[in-house]
Amino acid sequence: MPATLRLTASLKKMLNLQDEYPAEVGESVRAALIRVGIKPELVAMVSVNGTMETKDYVIKDEDVVRLLAVIGGG
Amino acid sequence: MNGYGGSILRVNLTEGKVSKETTPSDVARDFIGGRGFGIYFLLKEVPKGADPLGPENKLIISSGPISGMLIPGGGKCDWTTKSPLTGGYASASMGGHFTAEMRYAGLDSIILEGISPKPVYLLIDNDKIEVRDAADLWGRNTFEVEKHFKEKLGEEFQVAVIGPGGENLVPYACINHDYGRQAGRGGVGAVMGVKKVKAIVVHGTKSVPVADMTAYKQAGMALYKACKDAEGLKDWTRYGTTIVVSWCDEVGALPTRNFSAGSFEDGKNLYGPVMREKIVITDKGCFGCPCPCGKYSRNKKYNNYVEGPEYETIGLMGSNLGIADIEAVAHANLLCDDLGIDTISTGNVIAWAMECYEKGLLTKKETDGLDLKFGNAEAAFELIGKIARREGLGAMLAEGVKRAAEKVGKGSEKFAIHVKGMEQSGYATHNATAMLLAYMTCDVGAHHNRSWAITYDLQVGREKVVPEKVARVIWLQNFRPMFDVLGGCRLQWVELGIDRDLYVPALEAITGIHRTWEDLDKVGERIWNLTRMFWIRENEGFGRAWDMPSPRFYEEAPTSGATKGQITKLEDVNRLLDMYYEQRGWDANGLPTAEKIDALGLRTVVG
Repeated sequence: MPATLRLTASLKKMLNLQDEYPAEVGESVRAALIRVGIKPELVAMVSVNGTMETKDYVIKDEDVVRLLAVIGGG
Repeated sequence: MNGYGGSILRVNLTEGKVSKETTPSDVARDFIGGRGFGIYFLLKEVPKGADPLGPENKLIISSGPISGMLIPGGGKCDWTTKSPLTGGYASASMGGHFTAEMRYAGLDSIILEGISPKPVYLLIDNDKIEVRDAADLWGRNTFEVEKHFKEKLGEEFQVAVIGPGGENLVPYACINHDYGRQAGRGGVGAVMGVKKVKAIVVHGTKSVPVADMTAYKQAGMALYKACKDAEGLKDWTRYGTTIVVSWCDEVGALPTRNFSAGSFEDGKNLYGPVMREKIVITDKGCFGCPCPCGKYSRNKKYNNYVEGPEYETIGLMGSNLGIADIEAVAHANLLCDDLGIDTISTGNVIAWAMECYEKGLLTKKETDGLDLKFGNAEAAFELIGKIARREGLGAMLAEGVKRAAEKVGKGSEKFAIHVKGMEQSGYATHNATAMLLAYMTCDVGAHHNRSWAITYDLQVGREKVVPEKVARVIWLQNFRPMFDVLGGCRLQWVELGIDRDLYVPALEAITGIHRTWEDLDKVGERIWNLTRMFWIRENEGFGRAWDMPSPRFYEEAPTSGATKGQITKLEDVNRLLDMYYEQRGWDANGLPTAEKIDALGLRTVVG
């Protein structure tokens, strides 16, 4: 199964983008964001298969990369 | 009246008497509940010039129509008063389970009036409402008192309690509930303290009437389903507000060493995954919450348990003090909660004292022998206790950062980080102009929750000073606090991104009144203007100067981190205000015009 970038509703709404995009194995999350047209600094949290990772994480086969925006604060 | 408990409870503490009156239907229609009720009663009933710590001030606790209902996040209540910290409007939101029990006891608001001659607590058990002696509880910490009531009366009783901070009238004392939830800001705990009310204990079993039960269930289920289906639910719940620690560090918004920078070189030690791994043992949510942001922690290093820390406390008690140890931050959190003082204001004022010490403006003798360098967690712990007890240096710091800086002088006023006397919360705003404006114009002082605009800064260009940013700040200020009016939590909307329109049928089913978000935003705008009018009424000469931020954000660029060398120019600060006042329909000094007040239909409220 290929890797996938999934956008949470907040990020999707903010940028008027799709729910998900295919990710390329071997690219960093940061590079994937730029390729899709998302400013990396707008993504507050990168969750890979349920674990928080940095934007420098290198995407592997079958990874599900969830991208959370922050629009709320505490 | 559908959607309401039906009664306002008045507690005359001077005489020890309680009375109930019917919740006015016109006030419910026009101001809905929560902080809407709070500002209405504050303006109507607290006389101009009342001493915040005198008998004329009131503490107004209000639920809203979704409080205690099967609506995600319906666990919030509002605590409104005239602030002893700022001399203006204070409104603190508290989560947990208190508001649900209030509603089930039939109460929409509780208004504490006068001053009791002796320590008391207020017992509400449905219609059995009594002012009882609390002499044996006075002087005790919050956790001990909450545990006392739970053991004495039962777990179903919900407790809101002050600690030594409130008793000693620290103007940023908070009210503690549910072993870790607070009505935190603006000194509501000091107002409860001066009234000699140690605690409010409430339990109810009544129903809240709803207009259309079938539609209510459907709307409630739709909201819960939207939360359950949200893509980010699991990640959000795992980390709660701590997900933003790393992000703030990355973008230069993490308050570091008294806001002198926005990135912390040791920030990684405070990030969400580190905290989850090191100390978190479970999640802890408020009434009816499907996505609990609260994290309950076992702190092995200090041998205790604490709810938290959440983002604000990590920012203010961690990086802002130069402390890179999540267990030390959690311990500082526990001390503040137990003593009943706000972690945000406390962290802010201690950071200011540390900077004074490092610059030689406070000597070791003046710090009671404490080596008050940034990063000294043990010194911070010591100071927290001194502040709550008003001992030594703590007595001065207990007055808040603005007054403390006025006392010390020597230029320390320039790095006292506050607006209107309220210590700034957890976002460094050297180069985030929308967020800076949000702090400058927030209706309680430098607090983030009304308008959290920093992502918008990054989206459109953080240094830009454009009308769109100002419009965004205003929209958020009108809209976000509506959750505090409805008696609910905004995090389901802001973090999970659920559609706010889902609340419309829920509110209609509960109250029987159809309101669109356009209608609700208008209510938000009316309330915002009323809170501004309160500031004007209570502070002679109130105007533009009161909206200015700390000079640190327009005079001193950070020397490190993501915002190194970046600053907002003073002329841009003023341009932001010019545009803000114009878009608000206020005059050039920031005062709502007579035409604006009339257009919003507020003349009868403000006189």
